Amino acid sequence: MSAKPTKGAPTKAGPQTADAPQPDAPATPRPPFALIETVKQARRLAAVSHEAAALGLYAGQKATDAAALVPELQVVDAEPEADAEALKALVDWCVRFSPAVAADAPDGLFLDISGVSHLWGGEAGMLADFRARLRDNGLAFRLAIADTPGAAWALAHYGQDGVIAPPNGQGEFLKPLPPQALRLGAEAAAQIQRLGLRRVGQLMEIARAPLGRRFGQATLTRLDQALGRSAEALAFRRPATPWTARLAFFEPISAPEDMERVTQDVAAKLCARLEREGRGGRRFEIAFHRVDGRSPSLAIGLSLAGRDARRIARLFQPKLETVDPGFGIESVTICAYAVEAVSGRQERLDAGQDPAVEDGLAPLVDRLVNRLGPTRVFRARPRESHVPELAVGRDLPLEKPAQEVQPWDRETPRPVRLFRQPEPLEAVIALTPDDPPNQFRWRGRVHRVRRAEGPERIAQEWWKQDIADVSVRHVRDYYRVEDADGGRFWLFRSGLYQGGEPAKWWLHGLFP
Amino acid sequence: MSESRGRLAAIRAKIAALEAGGRPDAGVLPFGDEGLDGRLPGGGLALGRWHEIVGVGLEAETGAAPAAFAALVAAPLARRGEAVWVLRRDDLWAPGLAGLGFPPERLIQVCARDEAEALAVMEDALSTAGVAAVFGEVEAVDLTAGRRLQLACERRGTTGFVIKRRPFGGAGKAEAAGSVTASRWRVKSAPSEPAASDAFGLGAPRFEVALERCRGGRTGAWILEAVAAYSWEAADVAHPLRLVADLGDRELAPASERRRAA
Repeated sequence: MSAKPTKGAPTKAGPQTADAPQPDAPATPRPPFALIETVKQARRLAAVSHEAAALGLYAGQKATDAAALVPELQVVDAEPEADAEALKALVDWCVRFSPAVAADAPDGLFLDISGVSHLWGGEAGMLADFRARLRDNGLAFRLAIADTPGAAWALAHYGQDGVIAPPNGQGEFLKPLPPQALRLGAEAAAQIQRLGLRRVGQLMEIARAPLGRRFGQATLTRLDQALGRSAEALAFRRPATPWTARLAFFEPISAPEDMERVTQDVAAKLCARLEREGRGGRRFEIAFHRVDGRSPSLAIGLSLAGRDARRIARLFQPKLETVDPGFGIESVTICAYAVEAVSGRQERLDAGQDPAVEDGLAPLVDRLVNRLGPTRVFRARPRESHVPELAVGRDLPLEKPAQEVQPWDRETPRPVRLFRQPEPLEAVIALTPDDPPNQFRWRGRVHRVRRAEGPERIAQEWWKQDIADVSVRHVRDYYRVEDADGGRFWLFRSGLYQGGEPAKWWLHGLFP
Repeated sequence: MSESRGRLAAIRAKIAALEAGGRPDAGVLPFGDEGLDGRLPGGGLALGRWHEIVGVGLEAETGAAPAAFAALVAAPLARRGEAVWVLRRDDLWAPGLAGLGFPPERLIQVCARDEAEALAVMEDALSTAGVAAVFGEVEAVDLTAGRRLQLACERRGTTGFVIKRRPFGGAGKAEAAGSVTASRWRVKSAPSEPAASDAFGLGAPRFEVALERCRGGRTGAWILEAVAAYSWEAADVAHPLRLVADLGDRELAPASERRRAA
């Protein structure tokens, strides 16, 4: 008995379920139906319905051939993007069963149900509930539960629907399945087919060394993964977090004040656990699972790891109105991500003098970042560059600087306002092409220069790029000038002086 | 005479206490010059209040001189705690503030999407512990918004600086009839005077500053110079602005003299 078997329950939902017209009633015979895609200028069937398959059509067939064989065939263009979207939505929805869900494109998904099936009174109960809810959503599917993702995949795709392989018993269930059930590459599958191996059981009887030599290492790995002899990593929808809490309701809720309350309650539930274990989360995500199978979710971030339920609930609160409760919400889950150790704080004796960041600044930054977005709240940090627009980096306010960089040089005058786009100057009069201007017009007003300082030549950072791309056209000669009224400007002339070409002047910033 | 003066001082103190509403005085930030501090109540810029800084002409749009003036005034404050600068137009450039002696590592910049949001963020920042100064670039502050800012200032004794800035090419809003601002400053860059030794180039930044309104103080106009601008000492100067010349307030000065005589 292995220590902790991994259970996978892949569903197989045919892509046609995503956008197929819904059947009117099961009693009336449905016309054969297929989706078509264009592959290399040829229109081929991408997926066929049961009725069409019964008439001998198959995926990959040319659409014209299919139409000739079955004139009454109904076709619709395949929409792989919409299918992917639908699968993603389904994956998100499955979080109500287990936090670890992995999509298996194009038409399946894995649920890691280790340690959660007891909530439904065992694997059979969970499978029945899962099946009922999927059917309510009008999906076609096949389910299986096994110790390994590989075995579960094989059983869901080629085995009996709804089969549950007992712990360590997947070998027996896999034996009668065709070799394709092992998720083999096309080449290996063809080779196995050619050698007349029709069952996984036959592959299992071959000694490992010849098997690997003949069909490739990948085949061996797939067999091992299915049998649980080697581990398989699944790309879960999101790194599964053990920090999750769930509240289920006796009656579906939909009133805004109820949603506010359950947000606080579920946050309190999670935070109590975080508190007990001395941890705090940086990111929280709450999902409202609606009766109709959709689960809108909200996320907030904290600048410092925290576990104050009231603060977290308050950050969610302004976003709650964007959640459409539909016909009601039957359960709510909250997950904490980026969980790190947070030590308890002691009130300091000199708290009045220098308040801790956690008290004032961190909640403020969180409120602002969650309301305005992370790009609108920042601290300007020096970056090592001479080019003015590259010299300022924007960091999150409470982030520690990644590495020590030289502070900005305080001795070279720099403007307090810097335009994102330098503004062109008109009617520039300069004594000689490389003199500071005597007069210029900016925004319709003429400025007469009284004093000037410069030039300060700032060139392209040629050491950072391909030498072929460097050109003297990007050289800028900056001047600090003062007009007769006392206004101070940061101007530059772009490029070196070229005979016959008028010099181009720009205003880049304003000094006080 | 001295008895009546004493009584006057007592009444003033009583009124000040009533105005403060029982809250402790947050103190003042002196400019370090008698000529200027003498005009301000308590001998300096009142902390725990909000002040309005207005530009003149083109500066009302670009806001370079008002922003620099606010940063220079608040530089000693910013060394005590965090500073939050709420912007509508994202063009404030931290290296320039660093050159004036304002600690850029203490500055959090927030770009608000509209006027109401800018005021709300200011209010939020003003009532936060650990924040020493809040700057806001807004078009106008009406009476209600002004009162809200004032209440937020009083909560923690944080000082606010409202930099009035109208959108480029816009007409700007009409000045609100009343305002609860503690002081209003009209700021304009003034021609600089290079030190005699090097006549070439520009001198230290100078400002033509008019104190137009001041609660419990008197108005005035001066030319101020940022003494240590663009030097490494800028970050340590106690009083970053030096009074160069008293322009006097030709229209208002005699009137206030008369009132005092009466």
